[in-house]
Amino acid sequence: MRLMQLAFLNFKNNLKNYLSLVLSLSFTILIFFNFQNIIYSDSFEVLGTQNKDYIDIIVRVISFVLGCFMFFFLWYSTNVFLTKRKKEIGIYVFMGLTNQKIGKMYMIETSLIGITAFVLGIFSGIATAALFQMILLAVSDIAVEIRFQVRIEPVFITAVVYLAMYLIFVIKGYCNIVKSSVLSMISASRQNEYVRQSTPVLLLKAALGACILGGGYYLAVKEGGQEVMGNVMAAVVLVTAGVYLLFGGLIPYVFQSVARNKKILYRGQRNLWVNSMIFRMKKNYRTYAIVCVLTLCSVTALATGFAMKIRHDNMVQFENTYTFQFLSDQPDIGNQAQPLIEKYSEISYRSDIPVLFLDNVNVSNRSFAGSYAVVPYSGVMRLAEQVGLSFELKEPGMDEVIEAGHLYLLSLLTDRSDITVTINGKEYRQIQETSEPYLGYLQEQAGYYIVNDAEFEAMQPFGQSLYTSNFKISDADMFEAVRDELNVLSSNTEENYTARVAVDPKSNDTDWVKVFYTLCIFLFLVFILASGSIMFMKLYNDSFEERPRALVMKKIGIDSGTLGRSIAAELGMAYILPFAVMTVSSYFSVHALEKMMHTSLFSVRIVSVLIVFAIFFFFYLISVAAYRKNVC
Amino acid sequence: MNENKVAEVKNLIKNYGTRDFTATVLKGIDLTICCNDFIAVMGPSGSGKTTLLNILSTIDKPTHGSVMLDGHDITKISNQDLSKLRRDKIGLIFQDYNLLDTMTLQDNIALPLSLNGVASRVCMQKTEELAGLFGLSDHLKKYPYQLSGGQKQRGAACRALITDPQIIFADEPTGALDSRSGKELMRCLKEVNDSGRAAIFMVTHDPYCASYAKDVYILSDGMMKCRLSRGSGRKEFFDRIMDAQISMGGDFSCD
Repeated sequence: MRLMQLAFLNFKNNLKNYLSLVLSLSFTILIFFNFQNIIYSDSFEVLGTQNKDYIDIIVRVISFVLGCFMFFFLWYSTNVFLTKRKKEIGIYVFMGLTNQKIGKMYMIETSLIGITAFVLGIFSGIATAALFQMILLAVSDIAVEIRFQVRIEPVFITAVVYLAMYLIFVIKGYCNIVKSSVLSMISASRQNEYVRQSTPVLLLKAALGACILGGGYYLAVKEGGQEVMGNVMAAVVLVTAGVYLLFGGLIPYVFQSVARNKKILYRGQRNLWVNSMIFRMKKNYRTYAIVCVLTLCSVTALATGFAMKIRHDNMVQFENTYTFQFLSDQPDIGNQAQPLIEKYSEISYRSDIPVLFLDNVNVSNRSFAGSYAVVPYSGVMRLAEQVGLSFELKEPGMDEVIEAGHLYLLSLLTDRSDITVTINGKEYRQIQETSEPYLGYLQEQAGYYIVNDAEFEAMQPFGQSLYTSNFKISDADMFEAVRDELNVLSSNTEENYTARVAVDPKSNDTDWVKVFYTLCIFLFLVFILASGSIMFMKLYNDSFEERPRALVMKKIGIDSGTLGRSIAAELGMAYILPFAVMTVSSYFSVHALEKMMHTSLFSVRIVSVLIVFAIFFFFYLISVAAYRKNVC
Repeated sequence: MNENKVAEVKNLIKNYGTRDFTATVLKGIDLTICCNDFIAVMGPSGSGKTTLLNILSTIDKPTHGSVMLDGHDITKISNQDLSKLRRDKIGLIFQDYNLLDTMTLQDNIALPLSLNGVASRVCMQKTEELAGLFGLSDHLKKYPYQLSGGQKQRGAACRALITDPQIIFADEPTGALDSRSGKELMRCLKEVNDSGRAAIFMVTHDPYCASYAKDVYILSDGMMKCRLSRGSGRKEFFDRIMDAQISMGGDFSCD
């Protein structure tokens, strides 16, 4: 029989065993392909070039993350597969095959798996592409008609990325087999001569892990200015390293301590599962750490998506406070505009306020890079009443200001205390901040300070005095007609400077944020399902190793109920550990996000943790069922 | 059932195979084991020694006949009761030790007791006591891979004894041991039996090992061919076993 035939026969006969590997690989390909497909699909073009560009950038970034994930996933799954197959492959040594030939056979077999997974992944990807986009747009609340289309570019890119990565691991497996000794091959699945790790090493790892993790948490929530981005990056690295050390040090240490204390150990099934846990810890702690980091990423991704959505909705609301705004040196600009608007639509509300654009402002710790203007306190109070906005500002003193800022999608400035403003040489203390949209769109375009009325008058010589008049029309459909009508008022001459702002209530300029939000939800689910699958694969693999032990236990009279309870406890702990560390860590990561986005994400955090719990619980149940079936 | 009787087998028949092809391994065995008995069963390969042990120790079921263990007919009781019986009344020693490689010797020995819900303090106390009896006190913290074959087998014997079973079933206990370790194990088992802790039912092919027993049954072709009882000394008993073995034709290798 030729090598090729032997490999093919092996592949065919073991298809059932390979199924989990093939399915998980093809699922990865399906996801990657679907993301690539978004870039080349014309479904999003309807949102306009700018939106499409943003979405493409986001999808490329996500594709990169997915690519990295795919790399690790391939690494992990091929490694598990190699260990599982090595012993079987080792038997061929006794048939007189050289390591090179066995290696080649492994390569052929693994390539067959890879290609099967690829074909399956691409076809299911193509089949689900339209559905995927439909779900994406539906969740994003964007109405576009999706056409079924297949383009060659995403298929090509997915093929190149996946097959190149896969090839690396196939070659790695080949080298591994060629270099292995016969003994290591036949005993690959029985390397049991390691059990406990030395306590000082564990303690050192645990202490280091706790310090690094603590440092990461601290940096994540530390308030600051422009250095926040650096802090967050450092926090990500530190938390990842800390989690690794925690699982490599503290958790094995705790378990080993429990095993040493026989009073605790000899209760219920602990003697079985605690020892089992310790036995596997060195081999499994990386998996727990990966799963923990992955779930942490997914919860953070979901929180980011939600935060973006909340901020985006608020921003849209902020911008749409008024439909038309005028900035003019004509005091009666509002009265000129009103009849023109009323020709087409009723006015929901109108407000007027004088503003003073300043020539020379010096702000410490400034959040806005453009020009600055001041508005009088009483004017803002009157405006709030006209528009129906809340007004909870106390009157500033002669050397005090209140900043009327706007909403940012993401702000790196988290430390907003102790700000002083120098206006034409005089120092003012910022006593309050507000992001009520008193000036609507205009408030986004400049920095505004609310000052004492007397101070406003005193400042008049230091800037350009203008009047704003703001209107909200009740009939959004008349927007274009009113806008055209108001064109006559715009002017930029010596005698008359009038600028007009028109905010289309039906604008979809920022729809990319909605898509981003949906992609975040999607990414969250992908990562959580991937984490669950990794745990499942690991535990399923462990169950094969556990079989002979279960046989021994049965022989000495341990009934399957006891064994089942021990399995349930051990597997439960395997899921709880990464979940618990993730839950604690997510508090800090989401808290950092809350500060940057100025949005409360408490409910998002709770909901996402609960979803992770539910998904993990599902995987736990099927893991226990599969494990029991294999062992009991 | 007599109070001294631990196990009683009547007309035990065991068939293997399908309806078309049936092989009868045990052909009507009758046997009584009392609480102080130390029985060794010998016989040539395929004579049914291990099958008999498996049925007696509830691992296998007979085709016909009754097997009474602790007053219960094991062919008639539920699986749950069978598990309980196996857990509380029987101790098992295997040729390949069957210690769990995931835990220390101490945890291995304490396992059956700790799973029975016995207080930790009692588990520890009994483990230490048995380890002392079998000369393992210094090895309790070690993992199976750190122990010699003899130590592992003595550990397995401790584990079998920790639940205070009425009877120990030993399947070729010295099969994987060198002669010195084998002797040491047999000495320990004899001590256990002499002190009245448990009856022992052992399957072996080694006449030297069998000479530690009080009675030796020779099984051939699924039937008990003869029974030898120990007389004045072990040496004399060993010679008699050898004679019986020779008269029955050759070596009794393991099944």
